[in-house]
Amino acid sequence: MSVPVPPPPAVAAPAAPPTPAAPRLTELRAPGEQRWANGLFVAPFLVLYLLLLVVPLFYGWWLSLRNADMLAGTSRFVGLGNYVELWRDSIFLGAVRNTVGFVVMTTPVFVILGLALALALNRPGMLAAALRAIFFGASVLSVTVVTLVWRLVMMPDHGLFANLWRDLGGSPVNPLSIEGLSLAVVAVVTVWWIIGFPMMLFLAGLQQIPRELYEAAALDSAGRWRTFVAITLPSLKRTVALVFVIEIVLQFQLFGQAWLLTGGGPNNSSRPIVQFIYEKGFREWQVGYAAAAAQVLFALMLVGILLQMWLVRKRGVSP
Amino acid sequence: MTATRHPMSGGLGGRLALLAVVLLAASWMLPVAWVFAASFKPNEVLMVRTDGLLSPPFTLRNYENLIGTSSLLRWLTNSAIVSLGQTAGVLVLSSLAGYGFARTSFPGKRWVFGFVLAGLAVPEQAILIPLHRLFAGLGLHNTYTALIFPRLAAPFGVYLMTQYFKAIPRELEEAALLDNASRLKIFLRIVLPMSLPAQATLGIFSFLTAWNDYLWPLVSATRPDMYTLTVGLASIQTNFAQAEGIGFLMAQAVFAGLPIFIVYLFFQKYIVAAVSGTTVG
Amino acid sequence: MHGIELVGVTKRFGSVEVIGNLDLPIEAGEFLVILGPSGCGKSTLLRMIAGLEPVTAGEVRISGRDVTQLRPGARGVAMVFQHYALYPHMTVYDNLAFGMRNVGVAAREIERRIQEAARILELEPYLARKPAQLSGGQRQRVAIGRAVVKEPLAFLFDEPLSNLDAGLRARTRVELARLHHRLKSTMVFVTHDQAEAMTLATRIAVMNRGRIEQLGTPMEIYRRPATRFVAGFIGTPAMNFLPVDRLPAVNGHAVVKLRDGTVLATAIRDADVGSHDALTLGVRAESVTLEGAAAARGRAEVIERLGDRTLAHVVLADGSTLVAQAHRDSPVAVGDDVGLAFEAAPLQLFDAAGNAYHAPVSR
Repeated sequence: MSVPVPPPPAVAAPAAPPTPAAPRLTELRAPGEQRWANGLFVAPFLVLYLLLLVVPLFYGWWLSLRNADMLAGTSRFVGLGNYVELWRDSIFLGAVRNTVGFVVMTTPVFVILGLALALALNRPGMLAAALRAIFFGASVLSVTVVTLVWRLVMMPDHGLFANLWRDLGGSPVNPLSIEGLSLAVVAVVTVWWIIGFPMMLFLAGLQQIPRELYEAAALDSAGRWRTFVAITLPSLKRTVALVFVIEIVLQFQLFGQAWLLTGGGPNNSSRPIVQFIYEKGFREWQVGYAAAAAQVLFALMLVGILLQMWLVRKRGVSP
Repeated sequence: MTATRHPMSGGLGGRLALLAVVLLAASWMLPVAWVFAASFKPNEVLMVRTDGLLSPPFTLRNYENLIGTSSLLRWLTNSAIVSLGQTAGVLVLSSLAGYGFARTSFPGKRWVFGFVLAGLAVPEQAILIPLHRLFAGLGLHNTYTALIFPRLAAPFGVYLMTQYFKAIPRELEEAALLDNASRLKIFLRIVLPMSLPAQATLGIFSFLTAWNDYLWPLVSATRPDMYTLTVGLASIQTNFAQAEGIGFLMAQAVFAGLPIFIVYLFFQKYIVAAVSGTTVG
Repeated sequence: MHGIELVGVTKRFGSVEVIGNLDLPIEAGEFLVILGPSGCGKSTLLRMIAGLEPVTAGEVRISGRDVTQLRPGARGVAMVFQHYALYPHMTVYDNLAFGMRNVGVAAREIERRIQEAARILELEPYLARKPAQLSGGQRQRVAIGRAVVKEPLAFLFDEPLSNLDAGLRARTRVELARLHHRLKSTMVFVTHDQAEAMTLATRIAVMNRGRIEQLGTPMEIYRRPATRFVAGFIGTPAMNFLPVDRLPAVNGHAVVKLRDGTVLATAIRDADVGSHDALTLGVRAESVTLEGAAAARGRAEVIERLGDRTLAHVVLADGSTLVAQAHRDSPVAVGDDVGLAFEAAPLQLFDAAGNAYHAPVSR
């Protein structure tokens, strides 16, 4: 972009002080004017963004259209063949079922329990602060620590749960080995791990509700439940929607907990989509197929978000 | 995080709720507390029974064995280098880009910003395999470079810093302009020092994300000496049925979890701010 | 000496023109106040002089030099912002030194100028403190000090007193007047407060919707406002405006009739008023008294006793209200039937377009 050519220096009336020389190039350019040079601030990030996010994204789409077998060293264009095969792949379909089921299991719990905890702990004082720290503290642990702890807890003979069962008179059993229960256990562990995050989001949302609303409600003789329904909930609608979206996005990406706790079993009943991608891509080295599965995951996530947003709008919630 | 008294938290109902939460919190801590206590019991005892943890015998043998496992320290070092490197990278790139988007104007800025924000929707799994192929082609797997760089492209930090810089009053920069400060000087001497709280928040957040990262390090660092702590820990949990290793396993869990938990306790304020920051504005 | 000149200045935001072809000559050494309601464009005008806002068309000249394309730092002006804009992480000393350091002024000179400014503004005890540790008034003085040490060609003030409480505002006004007298620099001051304008200005430019309605000394503006807007904006209480009908002239002077039938003879030359018919009479409260020969009658509805004078809101026969002034000890009470006497000379007329007509200036 060209720098505006400076007008010839203004020749003032003769009696005026000596006119300065024409303004130097560095003196020109009023602010607010667009300059390419300003782009240098965003350039470093932008370069990495293009190289490490955008390019791989398109590369992934391209890969998904090819039958690329790394072990055999072959790669040929198959169009939508991978996707068709995925559609027929019972293990993949099972993984989709598992993942969707997992999201359906966990997201409402995150919202309800997170809100309940936030409501109960939205108070000053050290006790509340300590309790908040406990619930949130679990989420700073890595997935491997969390799964290790819970595997120990659920050890069939000597685990914590086994001890508790025995004290209660039951015969201990490892829920991770039960086909119908394994995914639910993964869900429980996940909630235990990350409940602090939605709790914090709700706390922030609660604190943005102006005191005056509650004071007006009190003057209007509104009871606790009425206040909650008429004041708190409507003010939180935005936060609820946000938590829903965030949790859907995060839980669709389930991997570590399932991989380390159950390995996807028993009998593929807890294998999530990401595990499928990992196994196909990095164990069997069928990268094209795995890339296609990854794009399906991406698409499912987008659908989930859009669905959620549509539902929210349908209930008459203004964004 | 200071909480103002919620008008619904007083009275009997509020107290009952609090009691319920206390009980819930106690049971929440139970798994970790149990593991922590059990890590101080000898393996032979744990083989037989894992209750009665508060009575002797106690031992530090599990931890001694841990230190003796040289891999663990190596993994810890790897995690530290990668996490610190990623954090530094994110802070520098996000601050520069955030300022550029918030306060300067260049042709097409709006489009570029929208382009970057769109990246927030892309999950890492969608680019996992292509990214892996890219780094494989460059021969960069099993290096710190491969572990640090991919996450530097994540738009979250840029988004956060842009919002923060937008909130700094324009008048300050205008005063600096009148004070003959160049754009760069304004950034380095005025705006950046004022953004320390946001830097701390983003820094802690990035550090935690990097430390706990599992999927990418799993596929990129395949040599055991390049494992991060998160990946390495998972790799040695192979045969769980070996009962003699229980105490050892417990010590591993504590070893891996405790440092980061202590970091959390110290930097609670910033971590919470990072979380809440995503809802503000 | 350094004057400022705005020639044909136009400002557009997108397709909206907020300032159109405006001329404003500011004389060297004067204290010019740009006065107007919020949204009239006065701050935008000031920022264009400073270079913080680009000019869509026209020229800005400082000391005869065209600075329209120059960046703010190169224009030689200093600005005091409404919210002070002090650098929060620097001490007061560093705040003051920042600008000088950026252009390579010698350290000894920096020290000298800062100490001098600190002495004038009584900032010496605060030089090592940070802005957060100062009160509003102290921050104000630091902001002024930052401008002073630059030894600029002109000072620009963007509503600097708006953030201060009433007492502090009055005191700071006096300090600014003293500063101007001491430094004798050109000062351009933007405000919406007409009391500030009247007390500080050598000249006032009254702005409304991007146009300068009148440029003149405070007394000119007060006594002979050029438009209805200016007349209504200046003066407390606001000028009385009454719709009137025109009657045949007497002795060459315009004569009007109020809606309640009262006939008033003005000192305005009838010929000046031309053929305008839809007229409004303007008269300030101090020119309408309750004592003396009454031209109109009405009922006092609200009485305001200000201590130094009494204001009576009087309702006329046709329902319109007039504010009249009475002696500070006037016995008038609410509900009283009162007579209103009008001074002829200050009476003004405004036509439908808002133009004002005054009596010729008397020697």
